[in-house]
Amino acid sequence: MLKTPDWGMMIVFYFFLGGIAGGSYFTAAIADNFGSAKDRPVIRIGYWLSLPLVLICGILLIADLGVPARFLNMLFMFKFWDPMSIGAWMVGVFGLFSFLSCVLSLSSSEAMVTLRRKVSLVGTLAGFFLASYTGVLLSATALPFWSEARLMGALFLASGASTGMAAISLLLFLSGGSAGEGWGKVKRADRYSMVIELVILALFLGLLGSAAAPIIQGQFAPLFWGGLVVVGLVIPLALDFVGSKAKALSAVAAVLVLFGGFILRYVLLMSIQA
Amino acid sequence: MARTLAMFTDISLCIGCRACQVACKQWNELPMEDPEWTGTYQNHAHFTDKTYRLVRFIEKPQADGRLQWDLMSDVCKHCAQAGCLEACPTGAIYRTEYGTVNINQDMCNGCRYCVSSCPFGVVAFNHDTGRASKCTFCNDRIHNGLGPACAKACPTESIQFGFRDELVAKAKKRVETLKGMGFRGANLYGADSNEFLGGLNAFFLLLDKPGTYNLPDKPKLPQRNVFVDSLLSVGSAVLVGLGAIVAFRERGEGKGGGGNA
Repeated sequence: MLKTPDWGMMIVFYFFLGGIAGGSYFTAAIADNFGSAKDRPVIRIGYWLSLPLVLICGILLIADLGVPARFLNMLFMFKFWDPMSIGAWMVGVFGLFSFLSCVLSLSSSEAMVTLRRKVSLVGTLAGFFLASYTGVLLSATALPFWSEARLMGALFLASGASTGMAAISLLLFLSGGSAGEGWGKVKRADRYSMVIELVILALFLGLLGSAAAPIIQGQFAPLFWGGLVVVGLVIPLALDFVGSKAKALSAVAAVLVLFGGFILRYVLLMSIQA
Repeated sequence: MARTLAMFTDISLCIGCRACQVACKQWNELPMEDPEWTGTYQNHAHFTDKTYRLVRFIEKPQADGRLQWDLMSDVCKHCAQAGCLEACPTGAIYRTEYGTVNINQDMCNGCRYCVSSCPFGVVAFNHDTGRASKCTFCNDRIHNGLGPACAKACPTESIQFGFRDELVAKAKKRVETLKGMGFRGANLYGADSNEFLGGLNAFFLLLDKPGTYNLPDKPKLPQRNVFVDSLLSVGSAVLVGLGAIVAFRERGEGKGGGGNA
């Protein structure tokens, strides 16, 4: 009989917030490098959102160990093929990039902006990593539900992107920045990410086949189909097409995307651990 | 590295006395746990942080309606390619010079990744210490010239301890003997180093298909998934990244608020 690791809500939150942190960072970095001066609010929010989130991520990971000081034991080892080892290191590396980008975003001098763009290009890789490695980590286990489809990492990355972008657009809306050009762009990028996520999710379920039973049937099925697929992806996509004029509707869509991202992590982790 | 040590569990000799289970508890000072009704004589149902050796009572219905018992003393397999060892981010899980797999309790940080990385469900989390635990192959005993407590206690030599190459040769002969006696299903599980996981250092002689004893037919190293999963994650990153670049790049003027593909 295979055993589950009994990871609880702290890890669900870590997977969720780590996805947003990575997603919001690489969104800001892409806006920084490919966007215009008008995208500055997106860039600032993206960088500044990733920093507290990655800090919370670190705290959640350490707290989950029970005895916090045992976190230090990981620092004696680096295994590049082991998601748990490399992941722990990369939380730190990502945090460093996030911090640098935040600091550099305070200045608008030409040299600083150039440096920030270069830093963020490398940091983007760390952002992609943070958003996706948690999925790869689950798939490198002996549990069939987690390990039989090869798309867990890809799915987490797309979800990290869609939730990161949704978080940026929501913060833009709340801070009154939704009038700017950046809002439309980040919403558009979010739509692309959601479509990619839906496609990957469909492929994922197809590859899992009968191993998908824990989420497509039983007590977690309503949460998966209703919470993630319908409320978390399909409705926000529909709202976004309708709501390009009514900004409040788009903001609601962003909230739903965030909800869906949380449900994704929740059902994947908890359905076989309950 | 010293010559690889192994345990060979021949289930055709097991009488279900559970001396191994008790000897393991005593030597390793493992506390008792509440018995549970499993529907058979087996207790406990699974490996736990307090049960490293476990006699499985497999009930097989016969054609005449009666039940036949297959008794199988199960244990950590000490895989040559061990999922738990590869998963461990602290290096607490290590291979000894004898080829066995052990957990250095002081280094374990309680992340529980090894628990889900064992293809056999052996490694268990100890909630009292906050650390993972499993069979140590009696690490203290083998470093002092003694065999594991379970093998020592076994009254029928169902559990044998020795050098791996010698035990494998012995096991192969035993399979032939059993087949000659009419046990057509007799087979070795984990003796062949080329079959799966590089071979098991605690291997078994079974009388039926591995699934009968809750063993996977072809266990694989979970870390084999990492490469392809990572590549597909990169693919996903490229798609998402291109989407964001298309959304953010400057395209002259283009006020396309409606959104198109």
